[in-house]
Amino acid sequence: MKRTRTRGLLALLAVLTLLAGACSSRDDDDSGGTGGGGGDGETEEEVADTYHVEDCTSDPTAEIEGDTLKVVSSYPQSGLTGAFAEIARGWATRFDEANANGGVDFGGTTVQIEYEDADDEYNPQQTASNIEELVGADGNGAFAVFSVVGTANNINIRDFLDERCVPNVFAATGSVAWGNPDYPWLIGSSLSPYTLEAQAFADYLEENDPDAKVGMLRQSDEFGATYEEGFRQAIEGTDIELVAVEEYPVGSDQVGSQVTSLAASGADAFFNGGTLLACPNALTAKQAEGWEATTWVSGTCISKTLMGIAGAAGADVLSLTNLKDPLNPEYAEDPAMTEFFAAVQEYQPNFKGRELDLENAIIAYGYAQADLFIQALEAAEAPTRLAMMQSIRNLDGITTPLAHEGITFTTSGTEDSYMGESFVLVQYDAAAAHFNEISDVIDFEGQTADLTPEELITA
Amino acid sequence: MDVDLFLRFLLNGIGNGAVYGAMAMALVLIFRTTGLLNLAQGEMALFSTYMGWGLTATGMTFFGLQVLPGDLPVGLAIAISVLISAALGALIERVLIRPVHGPDKSPLNVLIVMLGLFLGLNALAQLAFSDDAEPMPKPWPSKPSAGSPTGSNRYWQVGDLRIQSSTVALVIMLAIVCFGLYVLFQRTKVGLKLRAVASNPESARLVGINSSRMLMLGWAMAAGLGALAGCFVAADRGSVNPGLMAVVLVYAFSAAALGGFDSPLGAVVGGMVVAIAEAMTVGYVKSLSTIELVVPFALILLVLLVRPTGLFGKKVVERV
Repeated sequence: MKRTRTRGLLALLAVLTLLAGACSSRDDDDSGGTGGGGGDGETEEEVADTYHVEDCTSDPTAEIEGDTLKVVSSYPQSGLTGAFAEIARGWATRFDEANANGGVDFGGTTVQIEYEDADDEYNPQQTASNIEELVGADGNGAFAVFSVVGTANNINIRDFLDERCVPNVFAATGSVAWGNPDYPWLIGSSLSPYTLEAQAFADYLEENDPDAKVGMLRQSDEFGATYEEGFRQAIEGTDIELVAVEEYPVGSDQVGSQVTSLAASGADAFFNGGTLLACPNALTAKQAEGWEATTWVSGTCISKTLMGIAGAAGADVLSLTNLKDPLNPEYAEDPAMTEFFAAVQEYQPNFKGRELDLENAIIAYGYAQADLFIQALEAAEAPTRLAMMQSIRNLDGITTPLAHEGITFTTSGTEDSYMGESFVLVQYDAAAAHFNEISDVIDFEGQTADLTPEELITA
Repeated sequence: MDVDLFLRFLLNGIGNGAVYGAMAMALVLIFRTTGLLNLAQGEMALFSTYMGWGLTATGMTFFGLQVLPGDLPVGLAIAISVLISAALGALIERVLIRPVHGPDKSPLNVLIVMLGLFLGLNALAQLAFSDDAEPMPKPWPSKPSAGSPTGSNRYWQVGDLRIQSSTVALVIMLAIVCFGLYVLFQRTKVGLKLRAVASNPESARLVGINSSRMLMLGWAMAAGLGALAGCFVAADRGSVNPGLMAVVLVYAFSAAALGGFDSPLGAVVGGMVVAIAEAMTVGYVKSLSTIELVVPFALILLVLLVRPTGLFGKKVVERV
């Protein structure tokens, strides 16, 4: 009996150690690219300098070989965050559609887009080994990396890809770190940068409740820090006050006591920076507390699943978006939406054996990213990696059918890497279970860097 | 100190405490009869919880086959899940655990089988039911609300305090479980046999108790209890998702370590202490609120240092 107990405790300790290991995250090496500065209209030397062409271990000015452009990706396909795989259903659909229509004219060469991906279960270490394998040590395994999900995941591969000058494009997070000019080969997607969410909520309060006292729930990482510091900067010089900030550990979804503290702080506005299940759980806790507060939810919370779990507790919450929501009946007859639905049903009805839910907005998100990518390829001046990257970094007010009326996407060299700077405010209608647009297009074109504390960008 | 706020944190803690206590009790049930710490307890409960959800959902299929009825009322769904889980728990003991566990076998074998179950059951639950967060209906009085498949909690207003129907339901669930187990162990023949096997398997066998049947019963009860606790915690949090039970199990382990691995009463007290300590940490110790898992670890360490058998555990005396 006694020996059994000792063994039992040893086993317990082993499990706890495993769990603790799984929860900790690796510190990233911050040293990296050597490029910097530069917008468009540059001389050849300036371009070479911006993209540190001299230091590339594989030649980014080499033309594509053959007529196949291979993109690779890594994203969660199983586990708790496996639902993110639906993004890839969207982009795979758009690529299949382009291929079926004869391919894409990439800088004068017509190419078919081939894609390959791997499952990283949202684990940044796994992302790194997936991408290193897919791209290869010589950088020849793929032409570009596309739509890798997760901030830490993209940070974990950015040095590897930067050294090889392999484009890592449309990174699927709204991190402001994608504006770091030291990494010219990495760019984010059409998602609005998180600091713009903070700015948009501050502006909304300024207009509707200028003396608001705000309580904020944030994740205890860079993502959460971006909300907090962005919001602090946004309310400078206003009468809005951030009276309480509560943090919750990454990966946790139990935020009841945090919300209790916020409700007791006297705040009359709530910035819910919770992501994944922490978001609806915070809304449910707010309802349980009977806390009346104008509420903003993270853009990462706009999903049928998450808001569905919140249900009535999510009534009237605010957020922002720049894409049409397939849940919204207003778009049921919209030609862009019906074409998108038809394309998904034709090309990817059984993506990785997953059940298809056309109303899942992240499929539309993925489709829109691929569409923007294809437009950038068609605008590229040559069929090279450098030209591809230059094209994506110099989008000139393009749009995509699934974007809201009036939304445009603009980038400018490494000065302005942010695409999603225009958006509309949306508000949740709990009874109808979808978000409604409540504002005209709000445009922060070119302002993200100014609205973001610098250390968040270069972190 | 703001008493009202303190009470609100306390209520948050009590709700979670009931869940940790129930899961800790499931660990204790297996430990008492087999001397094993069931690492897979959490994922067994996760599988059962997804099954409970699946029975309430529409057109649920199992590996493509419609073997489970759908659209059942949540209470009935949970009851069915508890029964099926108990049967599966007995099956796991008989088929997977017994062949690798025994006095003449390496303890590593059974450890590896349990780790395999831990990973395998999580994957199986996702494969068989869903890998997404799914809204879990509430088996207690709730208000239907538009746009929400699960409705929202009712509450009772006591002064400035709101007592949620979920908190009350969780506490009642735990109380019924405690009462049931007390009656079983103290007032029935089966309970007597179970206790006999737990305290001395060899003597029990010599007086004619079928100890292997008792071992299966221990696993069956633990699996059924896990199913109940899992369904309740999912309903309380609003959804069942593949990561639901992993963290709950860590707290349950620390509750059981605190209370003593062989004491059902200890499991309940341990669950409450751990959960309330957690809520108070988040509420009052801001510097620790982002690493709140430190609380159960610190409690485990403290107890092991001061009282290795846990607060209510029995000291094992070996005669030389």
